[in-house]
Amino acid sequence: MTMQAARPGTVSRSLAKNRIGKPAVLSFILAAVAPLTVAAGLITSAYAVTGLAGIPAAFLVVAVILAVFAAGYTAMSRHLTHAGAFYSFIAAGLGRVPGTAAALVALAAYSCLQIALYGMLGPFAAMQAAAHFGIDAPWWQFALGAWALITVLGLLRVDITGRVLATLTGAEILVIGALTVAGLTHPADGQLSVRPLSPAGLTSGGWGTAGVLAVIAVLGCSGFEQAPVLSEEARNPRRTIPFTTYAALGLIAVMYGGSAWAMAAHAGTGRVSAAAAQQGPGLLFGLGGTGFLAQTAQWLFLTSLFAAALAFHNACWRYGFAAGREGVLPGRLGRTAANSIPRAASLAQSGTALAVIVIFAAGHLPPVTGLFFDLGTTGGFGILILLAVTSLAVIGFFARDRHGETPWSRLIAPAIAAVVLGTLAVLAVLRYATLLGVPPGSPVAWALPASYAAVTVIGLVWGLILKYRRPDIYASIGLGPYAVTGQPVHVPGTRS
Amino acid sequence: MTDRSLTPRSVPELYGGRYVVRPAERYGQATPEDSRLRGTGRVADDLWLMAHDDRTGRALLKPRQLGLGLAGGLLADLFLGGRAGLGADGTIRPASRAHRVPAADAADAALLELMAAEPIPLPVRDWLRFLAARAAEQVGARLEDAGYLTTVRRRVRWLPGRLIPGDPDWAITPISRAGMALDPRRPASPHACALVGLATACGLGFRLDQYLTHARTVPDAVQLLPPDVRALIAATAAAAASAVLSHRT
Repeated sequence: MTMQAARPGTVSRSLAKNRIGKPAVLSFILAAVAPLTVAAGLITSAYAVTGLAGIPAAFLVVAVILAVFAAGYTAMSRHLTHAGAFYSFIAAGLGRVPGTAAALVALAAYSCLQIALYGMLGPFAAMQAAAHFGIDAPWWQFALGAWALITVLGLLRVDITGRVLATLTGAEILVIGALTVAGLTHPADGQLSVRPLSPAGLTSGGWGTAGVLAVIAVLGCSGFEQAPVLSEEARNPRRTIPFTTYAALGLIAVMYGGSAWAMAAHAGTGRVSAAAAQQGPGLLFGLGGTGFLAQTAQWLFLTSLFAAALAFHNACWRYGFAAGREGVLPGRLGRTAANSIPRAASLAQSGTALAVIVIFAAGHLPPVTGLFFDLGTTGGFGILILLAVTSLAVIGFFARDRHGETPWSRLIAPAIAAVVLGTLAVLAVLRYATLLGVPPGSPVAWALPASYAAVTVIGLVWGLILKYRRPDIYASIGLGPYAVTGQPVHVPGTRS
Repeated sequence: MTDRSLTPRSVPELYGGRYVVRPAERYGQATPEDSRLRGTGRVADDLWLMAHDDRTGRALLKPRQLGLGLAGGLLADLFLGGRAGLGADGTIRPASRAHRVPAADAADAALLELMAAEPIPLPVRDWLRFLAARAAEQVGARLEDAGYLTTVRRRVRWLPGRLIPGDPDWAITPISRAGMALDPRRPASPHACALVGLATACGLGFRLDQYLTHARTVPDAVQLLPPDVRALIAATAAAAASAVLSHRT
């Protein structure tokens, strides 16, 4: 007589009904990626600042590399109770001292990404206000207005609701698609060239430019790694998480590679950098002429920037909250006030952003190239470092226990990803001046990447101090919300 | 000039704009309502009262945190009453027939039936998530049936009524009961320790600020509890923290 699997009871069926499927998870990832912010903001700025034409190819190649990375990443996420942050992977795979350093690096990187958005939000909002409402005010006033609104929404723990965000993201993707088609069907000189898609373009300015382009592409793709955050709430997570991660990467590659190609094709490969420097985000909007499509794209760009700034603000306080809860950062950050609001963590991020905006405003520093692009790509560089180290962590984690995963997931894919991503990070450091569009030897070209080295050293020292002086806190590093239980990575009775 | 506050006819007491009029001849004597100062004896009920404003009934936590805290309270009542416990594998099981204590009320009985009906014992975290969806409504209804809460219509007529405490004193005393667990001069009852542990776990620690200067800390109080209740409080804290980190609101 065969044994039949027990039918699920009332509780199990009720819990299963409340889980989310592939479309919801994919929508969540794409919203985190902020499509129009990347296509109209990052790509046009990258063309203008770096002068490199290999941006379309960079997105295609990096998407493939990240897909290889994702094989090990999603496999390891199945065995972690807190899979919502790179540093918990690194703590579980390489040890809690590197995990502590990774927590600080991640917080610095995401903080850079969030604050950088004000550098595009302010100027673009100022431009729209002047063009449509006759309001003439400096960029920093609009940036501070957005900052105030985001501070309040952050304190109220408001996320833009799933439905609204999904609708806006869907509209952004459709607009990008329409503009891409318009650009590709109207190439400069009447002839469409596929040269921008060639991987040879990654090293057109020497091997170092591959690193520079990788930072830009990784920045554009950041958000693809968010799927494991929803694994507890997803239906059949073993299949949903990898599927949605790969689907998102595929869509990102086509969307950004395609739009970058369309901009280069429409302006002419040799003239796209000059055109981007002159037109900024208008380089993308102009693909659709000056009609309804272009106007819609501009307003969606504004909402995309705001939504991305709010989402990254919430991501930053979540990091601060988790780290504060573990004791890696001051415990005050890990506490909630009335109405379940992590007020301290939210205000810490707001305070940092305010300081940076004031510095740029008072110093008359360029917001788009300085704040948005330079600080944003520095955040992207931090993500690139985290991806490379996480690949090593995957290898370290499965070296102790294979957990039934295939050799491809636990060793081959993460090894390839670690080598490639690590090499790209080194190349990026060597050509950081190109990334920032400054002369080689400029102080800012070594100061920004060196800041990560400083944060890493601080994190390692702090991790060692915790190890020997506060072993109770040390034991909780990487556990996130489960820090209070002090449970090991695998908790009995939870998913395996 | 006559001091109106000493009129012998009645002694109106003002609570947030609502008068509770006690007949003057009964002033100073215990009334049936005063028994409600002792509470129902259930952790979940005390937690509900702590989690809502004592005058307006407004929730002081987000719905997910509130639900998880109350779910922890419902399970704590079963554990402390010996009606259920935590297995070595982290799953919740009703007490065996030999050790079973009759359920305290219909809600407990229904929950125990659900547990018994599950083909495979489920971990704490799954029970917390399942119960969290309806715990606030269930516990609120139970308190209303017991006379602690009344439904008040809102200004906007088509919105559902809000439950508010019949007497703000009934709503405040759970805080002092929880505070007793932190006072080393007093014996710490399992009820008080579980209440202070769950309140802190779900984010109500700010309601205990005045008691946090005592020598006994919240972890000290929780340590006095049986292992399964301690594990339940830890799981509730983890679930509530996960809810704070969650991207689904």
